[in-house]
Amino acid sequence: MSSRGQTTSLQRLHLVEKRIVRVVELAGSVMDELANSTGPRKDILTNHCREFMQSIKDIQTTLREEIKSACEYRPFEKCDYNARISNEICCKKLEYIIEQLDGMQQSIVQCKDGL
Amino acid sequence: MQRPKPLPTEVLSDLAVSAATKLQRLRHLGRYFKQSSKAMEQQVSRDARFYGSLIRLQQNWKVKRQRVAAMGPGSEGFSFDLLDNSFVDLTALSRPSSISTVRVDHHYSGILSIQRPQKLCRFISLRFIGADPSCKQKSISRKKIYSLAEHHRAAKTEALTDEEVNECVKDTHSILCEIHQSTFEEQVFDMVNHETYNPLPGISVTGMREDFLQLAIGQETSVCLWLVPSGKEDGPQMVDPKGDSQNGESGLLNSDSMDLAIVGDDQHDFFKMNLSGMPNPVSLEIYLLFIFHENVLARARERRSCATRAQVPGEPADGSCGVLGHFCMTVAHRIFSNKVLSELESLVNGVPYLQLLSHPTWHSRTSSWSLFLKFPQSVLHAGRRSKISDNHHLKHGMRSQFHTKVVVKDDQINVSGEGAPSIICSFRGSSDDICSLNSFGCDLEDLPMILLQQVASQVIRWLHEEALVVGMKASRDFLCLYFGLDHGDTLGLVAHVDPDDVNGCISWWVVMDDGSAEGKNLTYYGESESRRFLGHLSLEALYATVMDLASLCSIGGIH
Repeated sequence: MSSRGQTTSLQRLHLVEKRIVRVVELAGSVMDELANSTGPRKDILTNHCREFMQSIKDIQTTLREEIKSACEYRPFEKCDYNARISNEICCKKLEYIIEQLDGMQQSIVQCKDGL
Repeated sequence: MQRPKPLPTEVLSDLAVSAATKLQRLRHLGRYFKQSSKAMEQQVSRDARFYGSLIRLQQNWKVKRQRVAAMGPGSEGFSFDLLDNSFVDLTALSRPSSISTVRVDHHYSGILSIQRPQKLCRFISLRFIGADPSCKQKSISRKKIYSLAEHHRAAKTEALTDEEVNECVKDTHSILCEIHQSTFEEQVFDMVNHETYNPLPGISVTGMREDFLQLAIGQETSVCLWLVPSGKEDGPQMVDPKGDSQNGESGLLNSDSMDLAIVGDDQHDFFKMNLSGMPNPVSLEIYLLFIFHENVLARARERRSCATRAQVPGEPADGSCGVLGHFCMTVAHRIFSNKVLSELESLVNGVPYLQLLSHPTWHSRTSSWSLFLKFPQSVLHAGRRSKISDNHHLKHGMRSQFHTKVVVKDDQINVSGEGAPSIICSFRGSSDDICSLNSFGCDLEDLPMILLQQVASQVIRWLHEEALVVGMKASRDFLCLYFGLDHGDTLGLVAHVDPDDVNGCISWWVVMDDGSAEGKNLTYYGESESRRFLGHLSLEALYATVMDLASLCSIGGIH
């Protein structure tokens, strides 16, 4: 799975978690509404319950999709540690050369000033 | 007797009480759900922080997990594995690296952090003994492990911004890079040690400690390798040149950089030793890491392609001398070629019309330069061009440039010149051109003299050609140009070469003689009636002199 796909999948699962939180919150609101001393307001109750059911459905769909599309995780398949070391060595070479070139440039500037 | 029928008021009050109780419970339930949702929300954001960081780091580092409950709270048993298994198999590690697995801490706030290894990370460093420690160019920038900010971040609880989480991940990543690099450099140090167990020609081990290795290359140079913890880059304080009179405690050497130090042969003068000719130790460090890494990769490729071949771990696959041998020979070559270069530079300083060019050879044990001489275009030559036959051109190979190539392989110098008449030819007295490449080896001591003679003889040859163009009767010897005068006399223009002359390495004399004078005796006899010192002339001045002599000779009725 590409890194972009992984991030999106993670985002989707994060959304699922947020929805679950919202669902629990809704349940709390419904209870509060039922406990209203003047009696529960029907429209608020129906709204909350509708949102609750819709969220549950969304959660279910998303989870089903994610579980289906989750690929088998194969650990350590293409270890790039050697390439990393090569790159570090290349960086060192470049830093060294840049330093030498800076020194050369300084010498040239000094020579020009001397003239 | 039946229970008395409850009064309507009692029924109502019972209903009221049960309704109130129910409402109470519903409210309670509502509060419970709300609190749960808040707690879940916080937990979700903390987990998102942690697993988001883990996924980002997982793109670059191997993550392992141990589902052990005994790890303690706040830790799911994740760890980063910095060891490359293919690498481990090929390098016969004598010391297992203790810092190759890094544990991951999951803080309460969701921040991911790593447990820093107990031992400091150690890196390879190269240095010359006797050098001023401050001279060492610190060109490899090491990212510092010590970031206290990380602790502060982890201690903060909830008010964490995305920026801070991002910074944490970046810090963790750079720490892992550093640990990984240090693991590799320690492995290289081990491989170097391992290679010393095989006998290497010209190289002997003169000192060895747990984090220190001293090698003697040939007669004159000694090399030291140290493992230094990061943060102490100036290298160890090598107070005692003899090395290890103290116990091998790293207290003597504050840092364990793998320092390469070169010791001169004369122990008394090591502080005064001129180290300007030594190659830069930083470049040698990088080269050491590079060749060992290449070697490991090559062996890995070989192993993959020939699975049936029996593997002998630690056996060097390249060359007859092994990787370390090649490295030491490179060091020796660099030192020698610096000496050659300083000779060439002083030569070129002494001859204004000579230029020094250096050529890349793409091989660490070969260096190549050329001395370049460009002759001024003569006016007469251009005018008379049409009158001279093509045959003449081809035969004499008129050139306006001249190269002498100096190639150094390991410690062998080879000089080759284009069309330069050799000393042997001068003995034969032949003035024929040799247009083919002419090459020979020589020693460092003889190099300046030989090169100056080559250059001077080329100048003579050029002057000879120019003289012929204007129709003078001229002949030449190795370093002398003779003009025939009337009455059988000859006027000689003689080159005198002296590499140590501060005014210029090539000077010119005019000799009026019977033609037997050699350049060598001129300064001995000094000026006299028959010898005049012309000085250190430029090519234009020489050309003008020859033209003047032409007019002088033509008075005498040549041609």
